[in-house]
Amino acid sequence: MVPTGYFVVLSAVLFSIGTIGVLTRRNALIMFMSVELQLNAVNLSLVAFSRQLGNLDGQVLAFFSMVVAAAEVVVGLAIIVSIFRRRATINVDDESLLRW
Amino acid sequence: MSPEQLVFWILAPISVAAAIGMVLSRNAIHSALFLVVNFVTIAVFYLVLGSPFLFVVQIAVYAGAIMVLFLFVIMLLGVDRSESLYENIRGHRVISVVLVVGVLLEIITAIRLGMGVGSTGAPGWGAVNEGGNPQALARVLFSDYFLPFEVTSILLIVAAVAAMVMTRQRLKAVPSASDASKDEEVAA
Amino acid sequence: MIDYIWLVPALPLLGAAINLFFGKKLGKWSGWLASLMVIGSFAVTVGATLELIGLPSGERAAVVHLWDWITVGGFNLAIDLRVDALSLTMMLVITGIGSLIHIYSNGYMHGDERFSRFFSYLNLFVFFMLVLVMGQNFLVMFVGWEGVGLCSYLLIGFWFEKKSAANAAKKAFITTRVGDTFFMIGLGMIFAWFGTFDFDTVLNGHNTAMLSDGTLTIISLLLFGGAIGKSAQVPLHVWLPDAMEGPTPVSALIHAATMVTAGVYLVVRANALFTSTSLNVVMLVGLFTAFYAATGAIGQDDIKRALAYSTLSQLGYMFFAAGMGAYEVAMFMLVAHAFYKALMFLSAGSVMHGLDNETDMKAMGGLRKYMPVTATVFIIGAMAQAGVPPLSGFFAKDPILAIANHSGRTGLWLIASLTAFFTAFYISRVIFMTFFGKERSDKHAHESPKVMTLPLVVLAIGAAGIGFIAMKGFIPSPEGTFGRFLESSSGVFVEPEGGLPEWALILASVAVAFAAIFAAWSIYTTDRWVKLRERFSGLQTFLANAWFWNAAYEKTIVPAGRGLATFFAFGVDKGFIDGIVNGVGTVTRGIAAGGRRIQTGYVRTYAAAFLFGVAVVLAVLVVRS
Repeated sequence: MVPTGYFVVLSAVLFSIGTIGVLTRRNALIMFMSVELQLNAVNLSLVAFSRQLGNLDGQVLAFFSMVVAAAEVVVGLAIIVSIFRRRATINVDDESLLRW
Repeated sequence: MSPEQLVFWILAPISVAAAIGMVLSRNAIHSALFLVVNFVTIAVFYLVLGSPFLFVVQIAVYAGAIMVLFLFVIMLLGVDRSESLYENIRGHRVISVVLVVGVLLEIITAIRLGMGVGSTGAPGWGAVNEGGNPQALARVLFSDYFLPFEVTSILLIVAAVAAMVMTRQRLKAVPSASDASKDEEVAA
Repeated sequence: MIDYIWLVPALPLLGAAINLFFGKKLGKWSGWLASLMVIGSFAVTVGATLELIGLPSGERAAVVHLWDWITVGGFNLAIDLRVDALSLTMMLVITGIGSLIHIYSNGYMHGDERFSRFFSYLNLFVFFMLVLVMGQNFLVMFVGWEGVGLCSYLLIGFWFEKKSAANAAKKAFITTRVGDTFFMIGLGMIFAWFGTFDFDTVLNGHNTAMLSDGTLTIISLLLFGGAIGKSAQVPLHVWLPDAMEGPTPVSALIHAATMVTAGVYLVVRANALFTSTSLNVVMLVGLFTAFYAATGAIGQDDIKRALAYSTLSQLGYMFFAAGMGAYEVAMFMLVAHAFYKALMFLSAGSVMHGLDNETDMKAMGGLRKYMPVTATVFIIGAMAQAGVPPLSGFFAKDPILAIANHSGRTGLWLIASLTAFFTAFYISRVIFMTFFGKERSDKHAHESPKVMTLPLVVLAIGAAGIGFIAMKGFIPSPEGTFGRFLESSSGVFVEPEGGLPEWALILASVAVAFAAIFAAWSIYTTDRWVKLRERFSGLQTFLANAWFWNAAYEKTIVPAGRGLATFFAFGVDKGFIDGIVNGVGTVTRGIAAGGRRIQTGYVRTYAAAFLFGVAVVLAVLVVRS
């Protein structure tokens, strides 16, 4: 059996990669995808712990997380599309009017 | 080496490589495809961790629905756009990498301190999954977590309605001054 | 009546308040209101005096407690009023002569546009002066001290549209402030050594004996420093002649009868603190001032300034007496001087009133034909000052000279006698230049209205008679004389023996006085003074400018003071303090300018900030476990 700790470390690594993606990329869609990556990493660790602790709560939580992530993607993409319609750009750096 | 370990040690690098590829690729479509690979590896991990239900759901929902949605939008918004490499916020890359590495190390430290990297699963795992994973999940889902279940259904409906409202376009009627401005507001 | 003694200061204070707020509406009645208040105080004072005299001689001191002012830790300061012979003497002078001056002012200030304000200030001054002399502790006295300084400033600069008046008021206040600084340091020392300000504790012979001579000398000299300022002794005398810019009743009340005598009161009251060294200082300062001012008075052509220098000189005599330990004599001189100097000032005011505010004696002369009453009373007052018996001044000056001679201070006695000669000379000069001789004025002179002349007459009666009554004992009291009366508060003074016999001294002083009067008559009723002035023009200038004392200050102290003030105003205040305040603003702006750059508008930097927070929280959690 693969120790649970390995899965959790993998999850942490994926999460970090996702975070770097969020911080570094300027394309709104790619940022969003990185966020999805982060969510998946966390789901992975949830399921790993579920096996570790011996009950299904972790899996249920991962399940709900997927549902909510789906809804979030829908709304998020709708927003990105609306912004694109207004300003013809998906570069998040261009939306910087609330500055000093 | 057990099958589980084999699967893990093959798919974990692939997963990480796909993730890195997703982050670093200049083309949005390539990014999306890398992410799909990542999702599939994670689905296999679910399977290995004793949750065949989630394995299927992950592929169906994430890889099948969400990524398709992403690809649609990418194609809608210009598939041939590629992002420039130039970082216009000074020092941002450096700081981000430093912070992320720091957080990663902290998490690993926490894991080592908490459970130790080398611990294994609890006994009696098989008993929990009695009657198959979906049945077991259903048992828990529809009893202890019933309320959240109903709430998420509302959530999905709301999300769908929101998306429709936000992205609709009025039919262009006879252009008059007030109408035109209203169109602008609604479309935004 | 002693229990109601608080009415004495309260009535003038009430008058001041009423006149301040409703003066415009009261119009000319404000003057009568003010006068009535002071007359009321006088009545209460007289009643209290009679009651005090009725007490047995060992118990002639009452303390009336009004309320507790400061109670902090072990320090208790109460507003207490002291009713004893010394304070009653001062109170009688202040309220008695004060009421006469108030009545006189009704006529003198008639038609002035700030008529009621004048009476408000005048009443306020009477209030503060009473507080000064009635206080049972040094701090209450100091409140009065400062208050009369304020009122003096307000009243000297009453016609503040005149630049010279405004400057004179400033000069008075600043000069007395120098004296007040010494006074305050002295108060501080008293508190440090005695722990309280109360007279019963501080001026107790038993307590003062526990301090070293050196400490007492320093304390008493510091207090005397305040007296030098307030009573205009050399070297802080320069404000008094300039103070004549104020209305004449002000000069009479403040700068002749009462405020300037506060220094004498202080020395007499606090005599338990004075060692022989400090008393010697007092004596010499007084004598020098007397001499110096007398010479200055000879050279003044302005009638009010002549009287001002005369006041300086007479005050010097009072300190000279006090310095020799003869406190009752000093106090009696204070009383007599109050009468005849106030009388002369008011008469001068009457002359000015008749001559359309002319003050230069060179433009007067032969006025006794047109102002008989004024002339008569002025002559009475002047003769009193000159020391002609049996007028009051004789009973004041003669004992001083006698004590000087009998105590072996022959040199000082000679200087004092020479000063007496000058005194008689300059005051007769004023008489002869103003009321006798050729008429040098074209203006149509007339006598003043009764509201002004009646107080003059009353003052003249006092100036003439009070000496005889007070020193020879015809007032209805068991002991009979003023000296005995005052003993209960200032101790018994043992007259020294020795020196020339009494009759010789009296003869000498009277002869000196008449010689001076004759000299003045011969010079100033003819044209001789014009020729003498031409011949001795240098001396005339020297005396007229009072030995150029003011000019010396102009060259030295004034620039230094101005430099210091400029440094503090622009260097310290504007540069340093404003710099700090402005600096706070600048620093805040700088911080804000730097700090606002956090709001970059880029989502990614905000995300990085989130991450930073996460990192910190994780670190805390990891470290904790």
